[in-house]
Amino acid sequence: MTNIIFTAAGCARCKITKRFMKDNAIVFEEFDFKAAGKEAFSSFYRAHRKNIFRDKDGVEFPIFYDGNVIKQGVSVVIGYLIAAEKAGGFIGRSQLHGEWIDGFNISSGDPDRAENLMGVLSYLKQNGLKIQLTTSGKNPAVLEQILEKGLGDRVIMEVKGLAALEQAQIDADEQKKSISLATKFSKYQLFTIIEPVKYPDGQISYLAPEEIGETTKLIEEATGSKKHPYELRPFDPHSTDNQAFKAIEPMPSSVLFKYRTAARRYQVMAEIQK
Amino acid sequence: MAAPTIFPTGTTVFDPEKTWSGYTIYIAIETGAVLIDMNGNVVNIWEGLQGFPNKMLPGGYVMGSLGVRDPKYGYMDQTDVVQVDWDGNVVWKFDQYEFIEDPGQEGIWMARQHHDYQREGNPVGYYVPGMDPYVDKGNTLILGHKNLVNQTISDKLLVDDVIYEVSWDGDIIWEWVCSDHFDEMNFSEEAKNILSRNPNMVIGKGEVGDWMHINATSTLGPNRWYDHGDERFHPDNIIWDGRQTNIIAIIDKQSGKIVWQIGPDYDRTPELRKLGWIIGQHHAHMIPKGLPGEGHILVFDNGGFAGYGAPNPSSPTGHNNALREYSRVIEFDPISLEMVWWYTYFEAGHLNRMGRFNFFSPLISSVQRLPNGNTLITDGSNGRILEVTSKHELVWEYISPYFHTDGKSNNVYRAYRVPYEWVPQLDQPEETTIPRIDISRFRVPGAEWKKEQRLTKVEGTTGFFKMPQLCVSDIDPTDD
Repeated sequence: MTNIIFTAAGCARCKITKRFMKDNAIVFEEFDFKAAGKEAFSSFYRAHRKNIFRDKDGVEFPIFYDGNVIKQGVSVVIGYLIAAEKAGGFIGRSQLHGEWIDGFNISSGDPDRAENLMGVLSYLKQNGLKIQLTTSGKNPAVLEQILEKGLGDRVIMEVKGLAALEQAQIDADEQKKSISLATKFSKYQLFTIIEPVKYPDGQISYLAPEEIGETTKLIEEATGSKKHPYELRPFDPHSTDNQAFKAIEPMPSSVLFKYRTAARRYQVMAEIQK
Repeated sequence: MAAPTIFPTGTTVFDPEKTWSGYTIYIAIETGAVLIDMNGNVVNIWEGLQGFPNKMLPGGYVMGSLGVRDPKYGYMDQTDVVQVDWDGNVVWKFDQYEFIEDPGQEGIWMARQHHDYQREGNPVGYYVPGMDPYVDKGNTLILGHKNLVNQTISDKLLVDDVIYEVSWDGDIIWEWVCSDHFDEMNFSEEAKNILSRNPNMVIGKGEVGDWMHINATSTLGPNRWYDHGDERFHPDNIIWDGRQTNIIAIIDKQSGKIVWQIGPDYDRTPELRKLGWIIGQHHAHMIPKGLPGEGHILVFDNGGFAGYGAPNPSSPTGHNNALREYSRVIEFDPISLEMVWWYTYFEAGHLNRMGRFNFFSPLISSVQRLPNGNTLITDGSNGRILEVTSKHELVWEYISPYFHTDGKSNNVYRAYRVPYEWVPQLDQPEETTIPRIDISRFRVPGAEWKKEQRLTKVEGTTGFFKMPQLCVSDIDPTDD
């Protein structure tokens, strides 16, 4: 089957994707949903709606279909075209608009396949997009490569509370290294979710303010600075996949100030997420 | 209008039979916190102690701040809030709100407090029978600053107002950020337009927009409105006023939502029009239960210049578009908005139009209801503190003798009267009546009044009417 790409008139990301396909001699048929391709896209959408994301702003373009898989968004499509399914799990959907693009999770991929990620990032950078990366501390070597090659513009890093590292299967040294690297990008934001933890005695409770204090102390130790943009985010029991944590009561907002006070001992710019 | 060049300072009027006597605390310019008795004698100066404002607590304690941020980089930010004992020892301090690094200076934690704070136990920071503020425990509600950008208001950096609550141990346990509630404030499109372009830009760490300029924050405390089931007046709820927007509002402590508000537009309803435009006001608060007028809102309505709205000849851009050349102290019912007591140039005995300036403090100032029904007023811009009865009789007046080193102002931000027993370190002072002087005979040395004066009769004169000679009518047809 012919490769199909659904586009929208005026969509810069669609143009970048088409250019990539032409540069790499990938044959495709285009349907512009704002023009002659409207009917074709409507039929395609009705048949595949569960595989097509839409947010409050509508459906993100481009959408690529090779008769087998559907890929949506410039980074996902190019990642797929470079490495088929071997992009290593680094690439998800971008939810940013305009010149910014995100959806690159450094911690979720296979570091042995990082070269494919570098290819995608490199192509997007060459086309003028600004790239936001996320990490939760795993795979610092991949983050280091991106930093050295100048392939990222902003890093959003979740710094796990120390007591939560084990359940998240994150190595403390890797997290520390990632913190150090993240803060070397020109733009970055660190945050910690005040999440529940299953402690060795089997009890489940939220990280304590003192543990958040220890976490921010680690950030200071990793970077030599108390002044990083750092945010505390409340845990949402309704959106977790962990069944054991679904029953926990949401933390009252008034309690968050104690956490901020504890965090500010070592990170003076600590704020509570709005 | 010109103020006289020479005038007395200290206590100028004192009728002990009619005053609610006690000590008076205020921040004296470039001096510190000054405590005076009714005759104006200084009984203690906490030298160098800032106060925005200073407040007394029972036991001879005073609250204030140890320092203020360099005005080149900050805007009215006090470094901390402290409680100091009679001998100047700091017994409580809070400064852990924001870490500040100004150019060329060591980074330090600051409270960024400005204009007001309240210690738990008392809703308003002044004497109320049975509601003494705590001195060795309790939370402190602090009005502070936070710099931020809120694109809904303007793309410019704002020096926003925050209200936060700190425990005795120094933990922040509650916080309210003013700009988060912009959409609840009923600004007109005209006001939003000028706000977005000029959110009252002032100098301080570059240019920042002091868009709201809250200058008073207090809790409502127990009150009859809540007792009768009106949840808007929950005792924990907080009343504040924004000088720059002319808004007075009450926020729900739990949700942070605005539950009661007047301003920014006083033409909106017949009740508001009758109340009249409140402009650039200070120290709006609810008179606490146990004092005459309890449950009413008391405010020093400065007049002067404030607001955002449609341009007019005095405000080509709509910034500071509300203007008035006299002040009012008003007490009104928060439900009906009916005024129940007021004090203006007129009650002070001055002429309409020509005399309005005689009670006019365009900035700062405050008002305190006293247990006997009198009202202590700080006529701040003029450095004057006065006590008037409910029938507007002046029974005490004091002019601050503390001037800026350039001699240009003796202004007083806010003064409070406290009972003698709040200062157990001192014996109750003697009170000496100071009758009101006949100023027509009051002369400085070298210009003494002489009884012997030549009088020349002029044939044909018909006498004077008892009215001032003006080039316009003294009667304002728009006055009620």
